[in-house]
Amino acid sequence: MSAIDWLPTLRYLLLGTFPNGPLGGAALTLVMSIVSTLLSALIGLAGGVALSMTRGAAHLVLTAVVGFFRAIPVLMLIFWTFFLMPMLLHIDVPGLATVVCALALIGGAYLSHSVQAGIAAVRAGQEQAALSLGLTRWQALRYVLLPQAVRIMTPSFVNQWVSLIKDTSLAYIVGVPEFTFLANQVNNRLMVYPVQIFLFVGLVYLLLCSVLQFFATRLLGGAQRRNKPDAQPHITRFSHVQSADS
Amino acid sequence: MNGWLEPKYVGWLAHGFEMTLLLSACVIVSATLLGVALAMARNARNGFVTRIAALYVLVFRNSPLLVQLLFWYFGAATLLPQSWMEWLNTPHTLSLSTFTLAWPPFEFVAGWIGLTCYATTFVGEEFRAGMRGVKDGQYLAAAALGLAPFGTFRYVILPQAIRIATPPLAGQYMNIVKNSSLTMAIGLAELSYTSRQVDTETFKTFQAFGAATVLYIATIAAIEVGLILWKRRSAHAWQRGNA
Repeated sequence: MSAIDWLPTLRYLLLGTFPNGPLGGAALTLVMSIVSTLLSALIGLAGGVALSMTRGAAHLVLTAVVGFFRAIPVLMLIFWTFFLMPMLLHIDVPGLATVVCALALIGGAYLSHSVQAGIAAVRAGQEQAALSLGLTRWQALRYVLLPQAVRIMTPSFVNQWVSLIKDTSLAYIVGVPEFTFLANQVNNRLMVYPVQIFLFVGLVYLLLCSVLQFFATRLLGGAQRRNKPDAQPHITRFSHVQSADS
Repeated sequence: MNGWLEPKYVGWLAHGFEMTLLLSACVIVSATLLGVALAMARNARNGFVTRIAALYVLVFRNSPLLVQLLFWYFGAATLLPQSWMEWLNTPHTLSLSTFTLAWPPFEFVAGWIGLTCYATTFVGEEFRAGMRGVKDGQYLAAAALGLAPFGTFRYVILPQAIRIATPPLAGQYMNIVKNSSLTMAIGLAELSYTSRQVDTETFKTFQAFGAATVLYIATIAAIEVGLILWKRRSAHAWQRGNA
């Protein structure tokens, strides 16, 4: 195969049939990752707050639901959403949506445990202090517990997001034209370059995950550095305002 | 949507479940052994070895398992010499005195290798965390007793590291069971594959996936119960003072 033939193949792998058809390939993987990452963060926050604010029967039911999503393989949940949702809802759900839905649910279930653990880690003294200042339970959670808990649980968020990026490759099973699916398609058509193709695919995923990890860790490190000198930011801001007034 | 699955299809699912359990067990054994080796390599004094081990972890942790499996299945097949592939693809039996051990199909081998390479990084990191959890005083005490580096590792550090690492290791074993479902992409007839097959044959979607889901949850629950039993036993052992 000559060098010129590689360009359309590479373009197909990265973008799918994009300008003339639906988005596919690595670009679709990226879009799926971003959407399911955001959704899983929302579900995880809501689930974690619900887990730590409920007691008794409601808490047990929630724990069971979260446990269910953590115990089944992602692939199984994709089957459930892909084959059963259209049957139960009597609507045609596109494969892409069902996969994003499954990924968000699984990621959310894992994250809600981290959120609960994060809240538990800052809870004891901080909640009592907030309540004694006259805040309600929700205010205490919103203004005192969560801001501190988020900082503690950022590493597990990053971990979960990295594994979400990797899990988008499972959309291959239900025929969503994302990166792995197209790679397999190209591999089946060319037949002779499986090693090169899959090494390239692995490399692109490695790049995606590393970039996410790098920026998330930097962002986290930055946030910690900013928070270290305790009350200083307020003072500097105040002096800044004063100087602007005079 | 009504009615339970016919015995024939239940048999398929049972066979798939058997395959899932077998593959998971094989991967757990090999990944644990290699995981200890990886943890030792990452703690090695030789900087080159440490760097290679870190690179291995970076590469295998940050690329999807599915891509790795496809690589082993399609890619490795072309890298190996033709005669090896023919040998791997033809059935072999290993006859021991009482039972015969059939050589598994190539899908199984590829799945085993792929899952092992992937799981080793996670298991190895858990072991490394366990070793870091052993207090420095233990190394010094072992040295003071005159143990060589290997003896220190074998008789002092490893037993304590294993105790620290067991709960997260159980979580990794659960992940191995769940990840074994991905081998359906390379055509290994394990639980997910057979449930999908039963679904296409009978259109009893709910029953097929329901049965598979329940079996997965049961396996995960069994590991969890094992962990709880281990915790209770080791707590007793601690109390008796002979841990």
